[in-house]
Amino acid sequence: MNTRSIRFRLAAWHAVLFTAVFAVLGTLLYASVKEYLYDTLLETQARRARQIAETLLANAPRTGEDYVVREINSLYSPELSNRFIRVSRRDGSFLYVSGPPSDQSFDPRGVPAPREGNAAEFARRENLGDGRHLLVAAFRAAAAQGGDYLVEVGTSAEPVDRFARHLLLLLALGIPLVLAVAAAGGYILARRALKPVEQIALKAEMITQHNLSERLPITHTGDELERLSVALNHMITRLDDAFGNSKRFVADASHELRTPLTVIQGELENLAGDAHISADLRDRIGSTLEEVERLGKIVQKLLALSRLDAGEAREEWVRVDLASLARATSDQMLLLAEDKKIRVTVDGGHPVHVMGDRARLKQVVVNLVDNAVKYTPAGGSVRIGVHKSAGSALLEVADTGIGIPPEAAPLVFERFFRVGRDRSTQEDGAGLGLAIVKSICVAHGGRVEVESSVGSGSRFVVSLPLSD
Amino acid sequence: MRILLVEDERKVAEMVSRGLKAERYAVDVAENGDAGWAMANTYDYDLVILDLGLPDMDGGEVLRRIRARNPTLPILILTARDATASKVTSFEAGADDYLTKPFAYAELVVRVKALLRRGPSKQSNVVRVGDLELDRLTQQVSRGGQRIELTPKEYSLLDYLATHPGRVLSRTMIVEHVWDQSFEGLTNIVDVYVRHLRAKIDDPFPNKLIWTVRGAGYRLVDEAKA
Repeated sequence: MNTRSIRFRLAAWHAVLFTAVFAVLGTLLYASVKEYLYDTLLETQARRARQIAETLLANAPRTGEDYVVREINSLYSPELSNRFIRVSRRDGSFLYVSGPPSDQSFDPRGVPAPREGNAAEFARRENLGDGRHLLVAAFRAAAAQGGDYLVEVGTSAEPVDRFARHLLLLLALGIPLVLAVAAAGGYILARRALKPVEQIALKAEMITQHNLSERLPITHTGDELERLSVALNHMITRLDDAFGNSKRFVADASHELRTPLTVIQGELENLAGDAHISADLRDRIGSTLEEVERLGKIVQKLLALSRLDAGEAREEWVRVDLASLARATSDQMLLLAEDKKIRVTVDGGHPVHVMGDRARLKQVVVNLVDNAVKYTPAGGSVRIGVHKSAGSALLEVADTGIGIPPEAAPLVFERFFRVGRDRSTQEDGAGLGLAIVKSICVAHGGRVEVESSVGSGSRFVVSLPLSD
Repeated sequence: MRILLVEDERKVAEMVSRGLKAERYAVDVAENGDAGWAMANTYDYDLVILDLGLPDMDGGEVLRRIRARNPTLPILILTARDATASKVTSFEAGADDYLTKPFAYAELVVRVKALLRRGPSKQSNVVRVGDLELDRLTQQVSRGGQRIELTPKEYSLLDYLATHPGRVLSRTMIVEHVWDQSFEGLTNIVDVYVRHLRAKIDDPFPNKLIWTVRGAGYRLVDEAKA
């Protein structure tokens, strides 16, 4: 998974945000629920303390303290209901202390004496150690004649604490769940939202200089993505226009150059044919004619390239055996290699069929072999191979020539590119041969690549879609 | 022999007609399609050289009209359009040959001669230039009675030169004729083959037959006899 993708980052942010909100809400919930339960519990204790004070102790001087003790025991039976009840006199001595509760949750005798002064009513939370607490509400009962009593009623905080722990556990368990759901939800939402982006990207990747007339799909949703695809389409339109203009320019310019070239060539040939001119002049006219011929070839190659750009390679579309084409073509060029003492070998005896324009595919072989022979010193070798590999037809032309410097390798298929001055060997060739090879390959739905190392040779590999 | 040249580029027209006149042809020039069609319709020509891109009436239309009127008149198309589609259309409309600008003047003459020579071939099976002899049936070559062994490509090259004796053939013409258009980029292939051919045809003998014409190409001629 790409951790830098928008989809991943959206999902992550989504998850983090959700989890943070959940954690804050959970904390608040936990705190307020616990607070509320404590308050309710204390309230109950306080009510009971007031009851005891008002109904029993207010009359204590009249009924006698023994009566009070009996009444508390029979009315409230604190031991059975796990309650703590203590009544202390003004002087600090205890009138009544309940016995140990049935659940043993606290020891009534261990509860410290109240420290508060003369407040009429107060509540406190006694820490009994071991994480146990006792909630105690106190009420001061004023007896009719003199002496007053302090009534304390308490109960263990254990049920509330247990509930709070339970809640905390639930919340803690909820966090990873929320995290997972938020992440998954975020991921799915982001993917749905970004799906058009993927489609746009896929389509955009398929657009090259050869199908600039195509446009990206536009989803009429009125959102940012629609704007993006519309903007990209406008850009492609501008590119299309620019490419079209430059192609038309090359085609028109080369076309327009032909007529003047014809006149120059014809007039020079006429001049050279004149019997009265000197040998020196004849030679100079001949030299000029050579340049005119070269110019004519460049014009012709540029036109060939602009026609390939215009997609004319598909005029004659037939099934071609690349292997026999390569063999027949290199046979015709054998003498060219022998002349330089270069050995040419052709391997691959099995037919390898591709669909294409035979003359143009032959042009690919001719240009690659010519290039190999041209840049291989005497005594070297050129190996031509045709074979199938993973659904592609491969044509390889490898030489033991001077090689191409690494920085120049990606540029050799550019128009008019030449590696250094010393490579421009003779008068022919304007650095268009490999550009033509590339254009033909692209027009056939294939490509051409080069591997090379200076001093040990180059290897050009053309791959075209197999036809069978 | 009377030739009609329909060409709107004045300089090209001048150059072509001057050259053809030097070859002793009578040449009429029409500078637009209308005039071209009118002249072809009025006079009796042996050959029409027609530019495709013409003012007033397109060359293609002139071609169709002439062909409809006269099915046997040879027509040579001269044009700057060299797309295969354009060639195919022209041939379908009845053109006999097609020459793309820029062209070597020598090539135009060779094609004009070929078109005018059409009909029953009077060419014999044996071609002789000086003491060089080619038997076109058996593809055997001898010079001064001595057999010379040639590879098929060398033979094709010599055959092309020998059937146009004395005429300068450009490297482009040779490549297109002996190889095919795919080899056009590599002009030195012709030089290499000519050198090999010379080694067999000329080097063992005192007088040369294959001549290099700087900037133009090669020609086969027996200068001693000429």
